[in-house]
Amino acid sequence: MRSGETGGFEAAMLPHLNAAYTLARYLTRNDHDAEDVVQDAYLRAFTYRDSFRGDGAEAGRAWLLAIVRNTAYSWRRREGKSALVTEFDETRHSDAVAEEHPEAALLRDAARQSLSRALDQLPPEFREVIVLRELEGLSYREIGEVVGVPAGTVMSRLSRARERLQRALRAEDREG
Amino acid sequence: MSHEHSETQLDAYLDGELASVEAAELEAHLVRCPACARLREERLALRAAIRAAVPAQPAPDALRERVRLALRAHGTAGRGGGPRAARAWSWLAIAASLTLVALGSWGLALRGAAAGGLADEVFRSHVRSLMPGHLTDVRSSDQHTVKPWFDGALDYSPPVYDFAGRGYPLLGGRLDYIAERPVAALVYGRRQHLISLLVWPVTRAPAAPPTPRFRQGYHLLHWATPIYSYWVVSDLGLVELQDFSRLVQQADSAAAAGMSR
Repeated sequence: MRSGETGGFEAAMLPHLNAAYTLARYLTRNDHDAEDVVQDAYLRAFTYRDSFRGDGAEAGRAWLLAIVRNTAYSWRRREGKSALVTEFDETRHSDAVAEEHPEAALLRDAARQSLSRALDQLPPEFREVIVLRELEGLSYREIGEVVGVPAGTVMSRLSRARERLQRALRAEDREG
Repeated sequence: MSHEHSETQLDAYLDGELASVEAAELEAHLVRCPACARLREERLALRAAIRAAVPAQPAPDALRERVRLALRAHGTAGRGGGPRAARAWSWLAIAASLTLVALGSWGLALRGAAAGGLADEVFRSHVRSLMPGHLTDVRSSDQHTVKPWFDGALDYSPPVYDFAGRGYPLLGGRLDYIAERPVAALVYGRRQHLISLLVWPVTRAPAAPPTPRFRQGYHLLHWATPIYSYWVVSDLGLVELQDFSRLVQQADSAAAAGMSR
């Protein structure tokens, strides 16, 4: 990676594109913005490629995801500053989440919707650990690297996040 | 073992993150404690539910292509623009981004990049806009449509002029994010060429004449008035781009004169 060649960087980092996109989608909650965030994050990662001191594909993934996360938070601040920007983008909360999926048949639609709503409503520091753990399959240590907190904090955040999601599911059970 | 404590431990256990001694302890607890055993079932169901409710969606092929193109454009551009200087602070920047939880970490790091970094941001904004669907957020050749659109989206009202009569028609505008703030980008045409004009208010900057820069086949011009910082970027020749910049400056002076009258 120190060669400065775009090719080497691409070969090392493009395999993580799905992981980057998934994280960006759940942080921005908008497919369109997620694409912009991912592209920007890759450019930043390329600019700072010499600072990557880790070793191996998993370290590279955590490093890239940390940059995706930072980029997404910059994007969130920008969104906060000019709230109207989002009004021009009605792709927000697209139906992508509700697309048919084999496992989804096991769940009643209502439960699934309430869960994905509950996930959307989680504070971002909870949502990101859930996404990194359940969708990306990262270890606590790797999540800690991405988020910038100790593994112990990852553990307690995950637990609190799951407790909230569990409550949403239980509430759905009672109503249904 | 308290239940609250074991709940966190249970999660770590199910995630395969518990050391073996603690794991054995927890398993013994689960046998004795129906409440915790029920919680384990709930957690397993929750895990399946999460994965079903939010299926991972692979990145679109178009995004893969976009990233690849942007990297290549950026890779070539970086070589022209002082990579050594950039490298000097890049380690600090990335260290900050990884260790600071503070949301402003990128801002701190990037401020050191000064004008060279700004030129790169402007250049990237233009290149990004050339990708399908990114040129304009509001497509209109009518300045009275474009200007109010920005009024709703920014905390300042950028000057919007049309130079169709001089061969530089206004095509529209978009929002961009430069120098840590949302900015207005106006798009003008010149034959087959496109010009991005980026403008944002400055708080205290001496007025500066246009300074040309060059990035991978694109010319950039930057100047400042007491009120606004301007950047212009295009693949147009420098002479025409300077001509365009003069039109903007003249329109600006005319507008300022009009206001003070």
